[in-house]
Amino acid sequence: MSSFKKILLIITVLILPLTGCHKEEFPGRPTVALVVKTLNNPFFNDMQRGAEEAARELEINLIVQAAEREVDVEQQVQIVENLIQRRVDAILLTPSGSREVVPVIARANRAGIPVLNLDTRVDMDLLNRDNAHIATFIGSDNYEGGRIAGVYIAERLSGNGNVAILEGIPGHETGDSRQRGFMDGISAYPGIRVVTSQTANWERNLGYNVFENILQSHPGVQAVFAASDLMALGAVEAIASNNRQGSIIVVGFDAHSEAVDAVERGLMQATIAQSPAEIGRLGVQNAYKLLNGETIPEEITVEIKLITKDSLAEGNF
Amino acid sequence: MRKKIDVSQFDKLRQFGTIIGLILLCAFFAILSPYFFTVSNLLNVAQQSAIIAVISVGMTFVIITAGIDLSVGSVLAFAGVTLASALHAGLPVPLAIMIGFATGFGCGLLNGVLISFGKLPPFIATLGMMSIARGAALWYTDGRPISGFDDGFRFLATGEIFHIPVAVIIMIVVYIIAHFVLTKTKLGRYTYAIGGNEEAAILSGINVKLYKNIIYGIAGLLSALGAVLLTARLNSAQPIAGIMYELDAIAATVIGGTSLMGGQGTVIGTLIGALIIGVLRNGLNLLGVSSFIQQIVIGSVIIGAILLDTALKKQKTK
Repeated sequence: MSSFKKILLIITVLILPLTGCHKEEFPGRPTVALVVKTLNNPFFNDMQRGAEEAARELEINLIVQAAEREVDVEQQVQIVENLIQRRVDAILLTPSGSREVVPVIARANRAGIPVLNLDTRVDMDLLNRDNAHIATFIGSDNYEGGRIAGVYIAERLSGNGNVAILEGIPGHETGDSRQRGFMDGISAYPGIRVVTSQTANWERNLGYNVFENILQSHPGVQAVFAASDLMALGAVEAIASNNRQGSIIVVGFDAHSEAVDAVERGLMQATIAQSPAEIGRLGVQNAYKLLNGETIPEEITVEIKLITKDSLAEGNF
Repeated sequence: MRKKIDVSQFDKLRQFGTIIGLILLCAFFAILSPYFFTVSNLLNVAQQSAIIAVISVGMTFVIITAGIDLSVGSVLAFAGVTLASALHAGLPVPLAIMIGFATGFGCGLLNGVLISFGKLPPFIATLGMMSIARGAALWYTDGRPISGFDDGFRFLATGEIFHIPVAVIIMIVVYIIAHFVLTKTKLGRYTYAIGGNEEAAILSGINVKLYKNIIYGIAGLLSALGAVLLTARLNSAQPIAGIMYELDAIAATVIGGTSLMGGQGTVIGTLIGALIIGVLRNGLNLLGVSSFIQQIVIGSVIIGAILLDTALKKQKTK
């Protein structure tokens, strides 16, 4: 069985380095878990950074986890179940599916672990039906951000023009709110027509493909609102590869660093800034307050603002 | 006849290796985390593994015939949304489940027809079905999840019988039946025969086309059972559910010792394979290891399992 042993050795060598990963930074202090949708999106990396800073200041242990794929809510549910088994003191959760996480929130409740809902709202209707509850919601007002974007595009087009929308994954509360806000924002301008509204699944390459198709099927499109910057950046690339630079107004959402850069260079006209780092920081701070027996507000809104070339020139970011 | 004995000896040896692997893995996590080796966590792992484990049974049958089924995740999503809309339409739970099963079985059967009568390579036929079933699920729901069911249906996820979650019991029953079918019935023998040497199977009078249809149909049916469990668990059927589950199912099957060349493998091995993946994800979560590193570890385990295969085979031919 010598080769068998060899393989065991290989596996052990591969797994051993992991043993160092679980050391508690502050032994005896509370452990808070932050579960985000994915860790390969700068938005959630910023949220993680804010949470880590707050955790270090308050001297509490922070575990950050996410599923391998953003859409895999089942794996996110498993992560939360595992954190319940691990008996963390509080869970900060950005749901990959607003409805699908409800049963596992109920489980955390039964285990006596408070859940703080960050960024994407949990479906309140299902939450109530399951007798589950969240300690608070911390996030930006996505609806308001969408509305601001709608008004901005309408104004830039002087109240008259053809607009395309790149949607997030349908059924995601975040994208739906942004889109609803956008539609309400442009509703005061009857001359603004939405010629097409298609999903690009929050993805940059899909943003490119979908917008390239839109450029073919609706050559008269004058502006695009993308429900996230990654999709907006995809649209920017599609515009460039079709040599349509400068003729189409692109507005994204999230103030992703590359998008801010694109706004600065005039490739995008605007993006909506949320402060993911602030959301992460407030999440950890409020979890800490809660664990110390303080009461925290049911809802904490983080400021949202429009970033344009002008606002950047004023140093307003 | 001699060849058959050799194969089963190899399977036994290989299965033994997989079980040892699972035990070592459990011991490893038990030492490192005080939260791992508790009854509630072990049941938690079993429940988390149940869906992939059930789908992997179908995958094992298919892979033993030297085929592959890339459509299981998409079929799961499509079966899930038809099941969910049947439940929302107010149909009784058993009938709604039958509708979900019919969707899954239908998709699987279509795979079988394309492969047996259409003579398409399984990779291509099921790749097409992967896209078709996903598109159908998205189209049917307009991309939105269908959520919120009665407790009667959700019992499948929340219920316990003698403290054992219902999903785990269903998984065990499926494995007992599948083990029986594969080892004791004509269907089982023919599954191995088709994968071992399809020409010989045809020449010896086996209706290979018929059995391929049945086998791919079973794979679709088990995806639908996965859909039932997942929908009950999340209290929601998503058209984007099950993305890349085919890879998890293939991984569980391969770790369990089933050869992609066909003609060889056991469902018990697959169950252990699914549990190994489940234990790895759970244990690494408990240790707070990032999901990026988890992917590296799981990939390494798949490769390690195949290295073990080749090592054992070499040993035997010496």
